[in-house]
Amino acid sequence: MNKVMGTAVSRKDGQAKVTGTAIYSADHEIAGLVHGYVVTSTIANGRIKTIDTREAEQASGIIAIFTHKNAPQVFKPSNDFMKSKIYEARLPLSDDRVHYAGQIIGLVIADTFERARQGAHLVKVEYDAQKPIVEAKNAVFKEAPPQMGEELKFAKGDVVTGIASAAMKIEATYTTSTELHAPMEPHATIAQWQGTDSLTIYEPSQWLALSQRTYADLFGLPSEKVRIVIPFLGGAFGSKAFPWPHAILTVAAARQIKRPLKVVMSRRQMTANTGHRSETEQTIRLAATTDGMLSAIAHEAKSITSPVDVFTEPCTAVTPALYTSPNLLLTQELAVMNVGTPTFMRAPGENPGMWALESAMDELAWAMKLDPVALRLKNESKEHQRKGLPFSAKHFAECLKVGAERFGWKDRPQLRSLTREGKLVGWGMAASTYPGLRGTTSAKVRLLPDGTVHVLTSGNDMGTGSYTVVAIAAADALGISVEKVRVEMGDSLLPDGGLAGGSQMTASLVPTVMKACQDILKTANCTTATEACAALQRSGRAAIEASASSAPGDETKKWAFQSWGAHFCEVTVDEEIGRLRVTRWVSVMDVGRIINTKAAASQVRGGVIMGIGHALMEECHFDPNNGYPVVYDLATYHIPAHADTPRIDVTFVGEPDLNFNPAGVRGVGEIGITGVSAAIANAVYHATGKRFRSLPLTPDKLIA
Amino acid sequence: MKNFSYVRATSVKEAVQQASTDNNAMFIAGGTNLVDRMKVFLDEPSQLIDITRLEMTRIEPTGEGLRLGALVSNTAVADHPEVRRSYPMLTRAILLGASQQIRNVATVGGNLLQRTRCPYYYDTAFACNKRELDTGCAALTGINRIHALLGASDQCVAVHPSDMCVPLAALDAIVEVESSKGKRQIPFTDFHRLPGDAPQRDTTLEPGELITAVILPPAPFAKSSVYLKLRDRDSYAFALVSVAAAVELADNRIKTARLAMGGMAHKPWRFTEAESFLVGKAANTETFQQAAELALQGAKPLEYNGFKVELAKRAIRRALTVSAKGGGIV
Repeated sequence: MNKVMGTAVSRKDGQAKVTGTAIYSADHEIAGLVHGYVVTSTIANGRIKTIDTREAEQASGIIAIFTHKNAPQVFKPSNDFMKSKIYEARLPLSDDRVHYAGQIIGLVIADTFERARQGAHLVKVEYDAQKPIVEAKNAVFKEAPPQMGEELKFAKGDVVTGIASAAMKIEATYTTSTELHAPMEPHATIAQWQGTDSLTIYEPSQWLALSQRTYADLFGLPSEKVRIVIPFLGGAFGSKAFPWPHAILTVAAARQIKRPLKVVMSRRQMTANTGHRSETEQTIRLAATTDGMLSAIAHEAKSITSPVDVFTEPCTAVTPALYTSPNLLLTQELAVMNVGTPTFMRAPGENPGMWALESAMDELAWAMKLDPVALRLKNESKEHQRKGLPFSAKHFAECLKVGAERFGWKDRPQLRSLTREGKLVGWGMAASTYPGLRGTTSAKVRLLPDGTVHVLTSGNDMGTGSYTVVAIAAADALGISVEKVRVEMGDSLLPDGGLAGGSQMTASLVPTVMKACQDILKTANCTTATEACAALQRSGRAAIEASASSAPGDETKKWAFQSWGAHFCEVTVDEEIGRLRVTRWVSVMDVGRIINTKAAASQVRGGVIMGIGHALMEECHFDPNNGYPVVYDLATYHIPAHADTPRIDVTFVGEPDLNFNPAGVRGVGEIGITGVSAAIANAVYHATGKRFRSLPLTPDKLIA
Repeated sequence: MKNFSYVRATSVKEAVQQASTDNNAMFIAGGTNLVDRMKVFLDEPSQLIDITRLEMTRIEPTGEGLRLGALVSNTAVADHPEVRRSYPMLTRAILLGASQQIRNVATVGGNLLQRTRCPYYYDTAFACNKRELDTGCAALTGINRIHALLGASDQCVAVHPSDMCVPLAALDAIVEVESSKGKRQIPFTDFHRLPGDAPQRDTTLEPGELITAVILPPAPFAKSSVYLKLRDRDSYAFALVSVAAAVELADNRIKTARLAMGGMAHKPWRFTEAESFLVGKAANTETFQQAAELALQGAKPLEYNGFKVELAKRAIRRALTVSAKGGGIV
């Protein structure tokens, strides 16, 4: 039997998606369903003086209106990441306070969506408004608290001494703008109560078991009485891991009105209250010896959180993994502004962190007249300097070398010397990295008499290709074709499939599925699925079944697990009119074993495209007066179109990381975005001789 | 959205008759902008008069020029052989706007009547005089990066969003309209208006008037015309600034020049003074730079859109240069 693992397999859910039969959260049709539309604050700071719902109540089709005056009951969750977690610690409608523009201050429920929206429009609100803080220049920064149990600050040696004694030093400050997740599928929740003590929720969730526990906590139910159903999820990027206020309110209101209720958030509403990546300001100081060895690295970052929860964009997390130095200093500061709550967004911390660090490395390379690839090769770290552990299966140098070769880097011309059709041409590169994470998962596998295999796990497919990855794992372990595997995911009744986040679903789930499949053969006392199937048929039984779980173990005390990569790109700059285009891209990635080359390359490409957005156009301004985002849809919040995206050449190098898990997989969801913006700005420098340190690189900056 | 009634007109006469009986009625064709606005309460028509079945779907040569029926899709205009040949900047402007899907349903008449994409207009959380007179203009003290440099008032600094209308202004197109009172023609540059103290009015259309066609007069100077659009991404984004430019040379001197810009004002902005300046001059960078300076001399930048002054000058220089060299894609 040919091994299917590591080949190019088309996605199992592809046909359903392109023909429109894949059912997303808001698509579920439920008898008696009614519709809600949220009312949002038009000020960013203050109190609700009056909220007049009389006219709305008289409108056609209105069923109920909830405000802080009649907020439906919700209990406080533990808000511990592993137990039960909501994005915003303040419960919806819990008082008359307004903390940011776009905050949910009411919910109007009607028999149709349009009537609910019209009703929400008729709610009249008067505020006692106070001046909001919506610009970082007016915010007060303090040291950021530990995040998810870990300190953010770190020091090794003494950077002051390291810098003072260095032959070369650079210092620069880099900024990024507020960015929105902008998933293709909007946030939507359908809540259906069976009586008052049993609940079904249709809502996108990156971790069904955690959602289940969280809703159980919020509504005082045993988790067994909560079911989360989400067979398809249209992109999340970190914004669909926990319930947002609209979702909590939907479930609470549905219980009160005793009818199934659907709330779909508009793009406009999503700009304010379903998360974003905070703007950042990062100062990097690098010092080096005459032969280019880093004698000091200081990385100091600032980000913003909301008044109602604490989230720090951990920009410095990546720094102790990438380059070694005897003197290392990391600090993170955080300020509260009257904006919605920021959260995890694809490579949280790593993406903006790599923007700053990899721009600074390029600046150092130019200052020292060193090839930037050589500078990185010289300084790569053999151990994770914060964890004090050696890296497992690290092939960063190979990424750099293979990337340089594929791109033709050795022929890089002089600064500002290359032109094409009247435009300046530049080449840039940057490293790419993301930690290898793994969580606890469970799955059940059933071998049926017709030779097909049924895999069940609650882990979900965010659009990344998990259905296919799970099918490949089972097919590979049992020596059958992928077509013979049926995968069922996205239902919390199924065994806990873990978190689709932190690039860890594949590393967490594949070992579990492999183990369950091996247990099937063991149970049948056979070496192949064909034999097991024959035995099953003889037995007259319905199926051979095995359940398995897997979890990280002591290996995390011996090794640091990290994925690596390198990006090489070409840009053209039409300097006169400020037009920057990315024209060529080469990415080389070391992410352990590849399960599906097609899907993995697609994930890297998606990361690069999102990185192009981060570099060139993504920017959510808050209005300086009322704090509301000044973008309102996908026409005004720009993400890359095809015209902005070149062909992206992706190559995988390295080896299965068998220290990490039996499949040797490290995951590939986030690494692609890291380093992209720096590679682009570095190429722009090569093209123009101008260093840009503030993203995005829009035409106004390019002509300045 | 608010409830509305719907009627489908079977003739222009019937459509304008129906509109004359109800001041809150609106015509709907492609609906690509109107329906979006209705969803966010910017327009709350009492009735929609569907005009999509009317006989205004042809592109035909007439004595006055090429007549584009008001219901011809943006795609069909852009692809029409005579438009491509004689008015290349019009084809290019249309193709650089919206998306293929939107262009397929958006119509000639509708494109003229689309409204600004000023974010402060689009959300009722912000003050907007265009949406509701005398409530203030949040854009004046807000993020006014995409806003007007020319012809604005302290009531409104929004810009007209259309690409297609920019070459139409440069070409001296004629808008043909009809109402229950009869027909009339409006010169294109008089069709859209400046905000003044009535920013709620984008055009000089009278209540109940229906656009029936746009006429492109013969324009031998436009054969090498160009349209340059500068924006924050390369597709599906409104212009920061855009230029429709046509330069016709005779004996190495400029015989005819046309220059209009989008992203600059409440209407597509025609630079007749710069055009007159160009006539008779040598077609070189210096001339074009002088024309650009002349064009922008009245610019009044706001807090965030100052960069557009320089960007506009450079865009003018580039577009005129390319047109003078025979045109093409810029």
